[in-house]
Amino acid sequence: MREALTLAAKDLKVELRSKEMVSAMFLFSLLMVLAFRFAFSDSLTAGEVSIEDLAASSLWICFSFAAIIGMHTAFAKEKDRETLEGLLLCPIDRSIIFLGKALSSFVIVFIVDILSIAFFALFFSYGYDGHGLEVVGVAFLGTVTLVLVGTLVAAISVNARAREVLLPILLIPLIAFTVIIPCVAATRNAILGDITESLRDLLSIAGYAVVFGVAGYLAFDYVVEG
Amino acid sequence: MNKSRLALVLAAVAVMLLLLTAWMALYYAPIPQTSVKSADKVLSSIEGRGIRVAGFVCARLPEPHPVVETLGATVFSIADFSDFRNYQDAVTDGRLNDTWWTVRPLDVLVRSMNEEVSSKVILGANLSVFGTVSSLKLGPNSNVTGLSLEVSGSDDVLMGTSASQFDILTAPVAQKIFYFHMPSAWVSYVAFFTTLLASALYIKTRNQKYDRWASSAAELGVLFATIAIATGPIWAKEEWGVYWRWNDSKLVTTFILWLVYIGYLMLRASVVDQGTRARVSAVYGIIGFITVPMSLLSARVAPLLGSSHPVVIATQGGGLSPGAGMTIGVAVIAFTLLYITMLIRRVEIAEAEEELEELKRSIGGEES
Repeated sequence: MREALTLAAKDLKVELRSKEMVSAMFLFSLLMVLAFRFAFSDSLTAGEVSIEDLAASSLWICFSFAAIIGMHTAFAKEKDRETLEGLLLCPIDRSIIFLGKALSSFVIVFIVDILSIAFFALFFSYGYDGHGLEVVGVAFLGTVTLVLVGTLVAAISVNARAREVLLPILLIPLIAFTVIIPCVAATRNAILGDITESLRDLLSIAGYAVVFGVAGYLAFDYVVEG
Repeated sequence: MNKSRLALVLAAVAVMLLLLTAWMALYYAPIPQTSVKSADKVLSSIEGRGIRVAGFVCARLPEPHPVVETLGATVFSIADFSDFRNYQDAVTDGRLNDTWWTVRPLDVLVRSMNEEVSSKVILGANLSVFGTVSSLKLGPNSNVTGLSLEVSGSDDVLMGTSASQFDILTAPVAQKIFYFHMPSAWVSYVAFFTTLLASALYIKTRNQKYDRWASSAAELGVLFATIAIATGPIWAKEEWGVYWRWNDSKLVTTFILWLVYIGYLMLRASVVDQGTRARVSAVYGIIGFITVPMSLLSARVAPLLGSSHPVVIATQGGGLSPGAGMTIGVAVIAFTLLYITMLIRRVEIAEAEEELEELKRSIGGEES
């Protein structure tokens, strides 16, 4: 576990110096919120869309796609600079590398999540009805699951030629029901102030985190070997 | 008997059985009745749960105002859509007896009726009708296009079609597609399962042979799933009034599984190195197959498991007349044989492709 932390710290240090991932993901997320702001301004004024629904769905679209960009970069960078070989040569279990990568990706994606939540609040002058903390909590849980499955699939797609396109194609069918739909529902309930309504959603997200974590832990070795 | 001759014989048998299926579906199989659940069963399962039951029959009749005969129960008959509105108004105004239950057609069918208002009739029935009626007769030339039972609670809506207590034929012509739809869906599941098994075997043994099986089966799985996904809506349009239902777990699962395996094939097409391709696609094939059925357990999808997709037709002999059962049996055997034949052939092609790649490499050509 200490090795995983060391690896994650290494990734974060690299990220802190280059700021490639955070800046790309952050700008992407910012532009998405901006797009939603303009796309839905009329419907919001007319009351055709409730702000709770819009917040829950657009935030999770931002989170998912920002995470996809981030996780793609996390592996593509290592592959392109041929540092992946060096990483694989480390005298540690390959599964530890998976955990380290997932951990560093999680930190970065979660930072972007929080920034998106803040910018949504700013652009829509919306305080999440005082339930911002719960929204962050749901984002935390959902991002754990998202990053665990995403890291594994990113390690798969990095081998492909059309890897930028392939990651979302491979990942979205897997996260549609396991992450996005329950997370949108839970976020909506969180904003409405009855997060207890979504207890089953939260449990299922946590359950998938365990399933994807175990799957990644076991399968990562086969994906990166060679 | 050598291998290629065996494959040829298998192919011939499969094709003959397919033709036989087509003939049986058209001429031999009686038009089956949809007996998903008997109305009694529906009623007993929802009794005392504060759920309202409403039902209606949607029929295409030779004349705008047909003679409708009912036996053993009161049936509220409405000649066209505007009459149905009147009835609804009567319900909301309280002009109807309190003991009557609200009769409410499914939105989808209302929409489909707007297209052909004059040619269709809706019969709304109160709760007691569903409980007691033993048979319902329509005019001699009437052609019933749909029968639905809606069960609705305060928030959740559970839908099911029901016809067993009524001697009524549902979407009779469109129903024939079932003999091709259901075997295709079955074969696609078998194929995806083959991919799962072969992927697991590849990971375990690293024998290239299993990779060929996995990729070939995935391709066929996508093909047959496409047939199933394409034929289903043709029937659903007739039966449900819409092509697709997003709240149906079976439809959505099949669709997502289809997307996962298209992703699988794209992944394979995009990885150059053979060993890497085999490894990463095996891992994705396994995760994809396991994740999708599991999604059904998630809280958002689980309540939708009360699928309106007819299950009993396929699994319960009691729901099928012997002729229809025989036809579907032949169809399933024909499609399974077709799948096996195609799989063997596809694996042979995969072998040849690999050999070609090997040859190209040996003479220093470009890798394809």
